[in-house]
Amino acid sequence: MIRQTLLAALSSLALVAPAAAADAPAEIKLGTLYASAGRYASISMPVHDGLKLWLAQKNAEGGVFVKAFNKKIPLKLVAYDDQSNTGTAATLYNQLITQDKVDILVADSGSVLTSVAVPIARENKMLLIDQTGTGAAFFSPDNPYIALMADPVSTIWPKPLADFLTEDGPKLGIKKVAMIYSTNDFTGTQANTVRKLIKNSTSGVELVYDQGVPTETSNYTVLLNNIRAANPDAVVHLGYAPNDIAFLRNLADSGVRFKFLFCIYPGLETELLEKNVGAAGLNGVFTYVPSSEIAYRSEFGMNLEQFKAAWSKAYGDGKVEFGFNSVAGYTTGLVLEKALAQTESLDQLALRRAIFALSGRLKTIDGNFELDPQGAQIGEITPLGQFVAEGSGVRLVTVWPHDVATGKPIYPAP
Amino acid sequence: MLTYTLLAGLLFGLYFSLVGLGLNLIFGVMRIVNLAHGDFVMLGAFLAFWLFNLFALNPIPSLVVAAALFLLAGLPLYYLVVPRLLRARDPEMLSFILFFGFSQVIEALAAIAFGTSERSIPGGALARAVAAGAAFLGVAYTPGPIALFGQSFPIAWAASGITGTLAVLLVWAYLYRTRIGALTRAVMVSREEAISTGIDVHRVSAIAFGVGLALAAVAGVLAPFMLGSITPAMGVDVTITSFAVIVIGSLGNPLGTVLGGLVYGVSYMFMQSYYSSWANLLPYLLLIAVLLLRPAGLLGRQVRRA
Repeated sequence: MIRQTLLAALSSLALVAPAAAADAPAEIKLGTLYASAGRYASISMPVHDGLKLWLAQKNAEGGVFVKAFNKKIPLKLVAYDDQSNTGTAATLYNQLITQDKVDILVADSGSVLTSVAVPIARENKMLLIDQTGTGAAFFSPDNPYIALMADPVSTIWPKPLADFLTEDGPKLGIKKVAMIYSTNDFTGTQANTVRKLIKNSTSGVELVYDQGVPTETSNYTVLLNNIRAANPDAVVHLGYAPNDIAFLRNLADSGVRFKFLFCIYPGLETELLEKNVGAAGLNGVFTYVPSSEIAYRSEFGMNLEQFKAAWSKAYGDGKVEFGFNSVAGYTTGLVLEKALAQTESLDQLALRRAIFALSGRLKTIDGNFELDPQGAQIGEITPLGQFVAEGSGVRLVTVWPHDVATGKPIYPAP
Repeated sequence: MLTYTLLAGLLFGLYFSLVGLGLNLIFGVMRIVNLAHGDFVMLGAFLAFWLFNLFALNPIPSLVVAAALFLLAGLPLYYLVVPRLLRARDPEMLSFILFFGFSQVIEALAAIAFGTSERSIPGGALARAVAAGAAFLGVAYTPGPIALFGQSFPIAWAASGITGTLAVLLVWAYLYRTRIGALTRAVMVSREEAISTGIDVHRVSAIAFGVGLALAAVAGVLAPFMLGSITPAMGVDVTITSFAVIVIGSLGNPLGTVLGGLVYGVSYMFMQSYYSSWANLLPYLLLIAVLLLRPAGLLGRQVRRA
């Protein structure tokens, strides 16, 4: 009996193993969108190029190892340009799923262009590999078809900022805070978090100006005058890179000075911001300290130095700047690589299980990869930093939380 | 806050008068809609950017260089495109499609050439140029913001306001104080009658087309200072706003653009101050309101001929 069972088991194994190898696809289709033009091009292209860099490396090695087929399989990138247009993006996401029948669906960068992918992926039961779409509304217990790869969810981003304002702020003399934000999922969620944390604190810090502006806003001169009229001790500006560029340029041109100014993108896309507002425009500005600034101990894939070198070699023309988003695109590739090496099949929920199995166990150039049950990224942190003058340039100093701080905040900022 | 918003609106409006002026001039003379107008503004902006970065040429002399180059480029472009377009059964409608295509091509080529990221010219460059000009004229000015009626504004706003005003005056002088301007107005009234009286309408139109592009280029040189930064994709937004401005003023009447620009600028700044989340809806709301209540525009005397 035992002998018969063993024989039967061996026979089935003999049948299954070659079948699996034979069933292996010639390539794994990875479908994604990018924005070569429009408002989100400067955050989309670095992410896309970072992902392409990973993909080129893997294909140069003969493909990515897929456990389900026990072999390396080449990757094929199917990528369309959505031109930063959500309507176009919706059509193209559908096309990737229904026409191109991609194996893996990767969202474009940022919450705005990801927002349209969330319901489409869910409806088609495709796992959305969300690269940097951090809007909190994307993640819910009834949607298993999303996982955030390379950015913390927006509710986590501003916590160090709000904690600094409410804990260290009063000691420095910060009592009145002005907040201006772009009305989109990414910055709107962060504004809600800052508002909530300040209101719930017992520090005595209060919001004296709290206004949302369209994401397309390109001139802040009148708004700056209105903020100045509120006489705040600290100003928080939450916007995308073009918003930060316009805000900081208008600030410099109008001669208005704030004792504390926070913007998101000086830390995330330092190279781009420095090109546009100059080192003097960044001096004293508080910002997030992202993975492109912190050399995390990477246990999988390239470290920051190696990645920077590979980036410079691949994209040395300077048309797309190195920054946080380029790291994010590469990180997406690393998570996929690790998940494919563990997944039992290319079934979307199997892929999801493989990705979730990495939660808390993967350390990359981007820091700790950790997901909450809804697929939101919670492992990465965004410490608060401040740019300080160094020679003819600026250097980012981490000022909060205290346990990771590399310097003390300068308040009032120079 | 009220005074500041009003003054800012007027200055911002003067800039948008300049932005829309070329579009309206071309429509007024040729009855064609240049949907690539914003892309010519973008090209003017990148010309200024590269002149500054390669030759350290200041934005003020760049205004002259850009105007001259685009005027010259406009002449052959006119002869290449417009006469064929005007022979069509419905040139106005066809121009929409043709210049939309132009817009797409220009944007795509610009993205390949310049990349997709934001680019700027330092605000200090403009301030230094103004300071040099002020010193030449014997006017005291230290680089930095400028005080107007007790309110402090970036120098770029004053420079844009002055440039916009000068451009309007020059267009007025061109139309009402020169022989070619008189001929241009004749073409604007009736192209057929102008032809029958022996006016070389193509020559007149080509010059108007060149002037229209030159005005777009001048607006483009100031765009890095007024619109935060520049990208190859900025053209579409600029075209939409320009279109709203000229419809508010009066489609086909270049000087109506001034009123359209001022109404747009002041309304936009008040929206930004008091209902900031809704500010970007303004061009569309004004467009709808004007088309419903006064289809000829604020300065229009009758519904224009389609």
